[in-house]
Amino acid sequence: MTTVLTVLWHLTRAATLIAGITILVFLLVRVVPGDVVDVLAIEGGLTDAQAEALRANLGLTVSWFDQFRAWCIGVLQGDFGESLRFRVPAADLLWHAIPVTLRLAAASLLLGFVLAVSVSLLATLRPQSVFVSLVDALNIWSISVPTFCAGLVGILVFSLWLGWLPVLGNFLVPVIILGVDAAGQIVKPLHEEMKELGTAAYVRTARAKGLHPLRIVIVHVLPAAAPVLLAMTGLIAASFIGGALTMEVLFGLPGVGSLAFNAINGRDYPLIQAVVLFLAVSVILINFATDLAHRLIDPRPER
Amino acid sequence: MAPLLDVRRLGISFPGAAGSIRAVDDVTWQLEAGRTLGIVGESGSGKSLTGLALLRLLPAAAEVDDASRIFYRGQDLLTLPEDRMRALRGGALAIVFQEPMACLHPLLPVGRQVGEAVRRHAARPDIRVHTQVEGLFAEVGLPEPDRIGRRYPHELSGGQQQRVMLAMALAGNPEVLVADEPTTALDVTVQAQILTLLRELQEHRGLAMVFISHDLAVVSSMAHDVLVMRRGRMVEDGPMQQVLTRPRSQYAQVLIAARRRLHESETDTGHGDAAPEPILHLDGLTVDYAGRGLRTAKVRAVDGVSLTLAGGRTMGLVGESGSGKSTIGKAVVGLVRPSGGDIRLLGRSLAADRWRQPRAFRRHCQIVLQNPYGSLNPRLTVADALMEPFVTLALRPAEGPWARMVAGLEEVGLDGDTLSRYPHQLSGGQRQRVCIARALIPEPTLLICDEIVSALDVHVQFQVLDLLKRLQKSRRLSLLFIGHDLEVIRFIADDIAVMHQGRIVERAGTKQVLEEPQHPYSRSLISAIPRLAAA
Repeated sequence: MTTVLTVLWHLTRAATLIAGITILVFLLVRVVPGDVVDVLAIEGGLTDAQAEALRANLGLTVSWFDQFRAWCIGVLQGDFGESLRFRVPAADLLWHAIPVTLRLAAASLLLGFVLAVSVSLLATLRPQSVFVSLVDALNIWSISVPTFCAGLVGILVFSLWLGWLPVLGNFLVPVIILGVDAAGQIVKPLHEEMKELGTAAYVRTARAKGLHPLRIVIVHVLPAAAPVLLAMTGLIAASFIGGALTMEVLFGLPGVGSLAFNAINGRDYPLIQAVVLFLAVSVILINFATDLAHRLIDPRPER
Repeated sequence: MAPLLDVRRLGISFPGAAGSIRAVDDVTWQLEAGRTLGIVGESGSGKSLTGLALLRLLPAAAEVDDASRIFYRGQDLLTLPEDRMRALRGGALAIVFQEPMACLHPLLPVGRQVGEAVRRHAARPDIRVHTQVEGLFAEVGLPEPDRIGRRYPHELSGGQQQRVMLAMALAGNPEVLVADEPTTALDVTVQAQILTLLRELQEHRGLAMVFISHDLAVVSSMAHDVLVMRRGRMVEDGPMQQVLTRPRSQYAQVLIAARRRLHESETDTGHGDAAPEPILHLDGLTVDYAGRGLRTAKVRAVDGVSLTLAGGRTMGLVGESGSGKSTIGKAVVGLVRPSGGDIRLLGRSLAADRWRQPRAFRRHCQIVLQNPYGSLNPRLTVADALMEPFVTLALRPAEGPWARMVAGLEEVGLDGDTLSRYPHQLSGGQRQRVCIARALIPEPTLLICDEIVSALDVHVQFQVLDLLKRLQKSRRLSLLFIGHDLEVIRFIADDIAVMHQGRIVERAGTKQVLEEPQHPYSRSLISAIPRLAAA
């Protein structure tokens, strides 16, 4: 019974959050000066009369409340509206962009995760070694080098000078750049946590059993550090879903980031709303998954 | 025959920027097979480091002297290659620590944790690991040995956790067991059970044991020989009986005398008052701790407790952890809100409208807490800390606050220079004296002492208790003295109330409760007190 209540409580919270985010974005995009017709007018040289007719045609002349109601009814029926600029369903555009972003995010996250875990593992195991410096190097890199700078340099070096990879549509370079960036964010807190846990009483117990240091770090220290690892990975995953924008734009990947960028530029309201709804649901799902994973690892009741 | 363990000139230092700290200095002892050596000392005496050094489990910053030797079966453990040392650790040489909750991995089922040790040392490769773990659980007296392995540490009681630790230590079929304060974090009845178990295991398995404790009484019930350590040095060693009856060093004499004096002190009942007026009256006091979130229910910490404390008397409130004794103290000073019943202090009801009491009235009830390290703000000097009651209670002594603070410190045996110090510059005993001074400055009628000597070393405990007793006489204070150590309570209290699961199960004069306890729970509590072996 209590489990059912807990699940219901979480679902209610998630729904409220999504509703809040969509309402906020719905209002924000309309507060920004200029709408899609202005954009089209500049591109196509419409007269004032033509512009007004287009506005009426696109349903932008009715009140915000009516627009919102119409949009909500659509969404509940699975219709996310039509892109104002491209005249195709927003859902279709989104549907084509999602796999690109997911592939980029998943690959980068995997690289970052593996890199961070192995480096902090080695640094914990060999506290005097070069791996400890590598932890700091990765961390400082992710703080001080913005991904778009690394991206520009990457294009310059690999595509223009070495000619190894095509400039656009390339996948490997952004994955490495994002992966190293993620690793740098994860590795420092993870290593600190593992160092701290190395002095925990139960790790001393593991040593007192005569276990090999490698086994101690993998079986006893790493699971105990999992909450930190999960929290950082969850945060980064959420940021990648929506925020690989610079990489996507820079490398010409037609993902969710590029789509959002274009939609915002063109004041393409239905498309912006569809993208934001997708991001909100993704972030909530990621948080939920992190929570769930945490509970699977830690059997203790919540404190 | 050569002894099983032969420790020679063991020295351990912690090198630091401000010079090296000598933690263990020139310690030498031997242990024969099947015997128990007790190592007794206060915190910081180096007794635990001595035990850890045997398994080479010292903290990374520690340095062992080059001249030190620890021979086990003829090989020097200190120079053994790490992989061979690992084979001995948890194998022939096993250890159990204090605070089993912290020593067990919180995320792994206990069966796996013990199984890991079994697999590592493969003492009985012919028997399945699972079966061996079950056998070990049965041997250490855990209930349902076939099923308990699936549980996590937090699902076990403190005593069960320590039994799991023991099972783990036995997994490698050890020859030597180091027991480092194995019962310190446990309640007194559980302590008695674990000590009995240790004695049985030693007998059945012929273990040699190094038993480390701050409590001389516990050690005297376990060890054949004893080593007394102070500030890293051995101050006394020899057969247990000989040390108890004819201690050579002054320090051992003080330790034994402190224990005896606590034990033998006669409580003078009655202060010549015909009918002392009640100071504190609890009437059906109930306190619930709210459960967190939707899933957990409320916890009833105190369940309808009624109690009267007369002026100038000391009431000892005893019970094991979780019995609700500290909660009563907190409720009286208003740190927790009662959910039922009434608290009357000097005839005024506090439960309903504590905050409507005039500020000056609050001075009548003060509290001293257990941990003098935690209850003084590290960033405030003693003067700042002692100044606080003047501000919060709007005290305006005629002689001025400063003179009152100096007088208050002198009363607890500290001089005025202490005012400019920070807590970290004081010893534990001095800090607790500061806390007492802070509580006494408002001249309370009732002083609540919540386990105030538990964090202190034995001979410091004694000094603080002595001081408290003197102050009580000179000031005619009423004391509510909360504690779990019945020897301490015997020394200080006129009456005792025994608490169990939120209720008072017995209440009578100290002598009567300790000598003729009526309630079965009080009887088990009192019979579990460790005593110095007869001397």
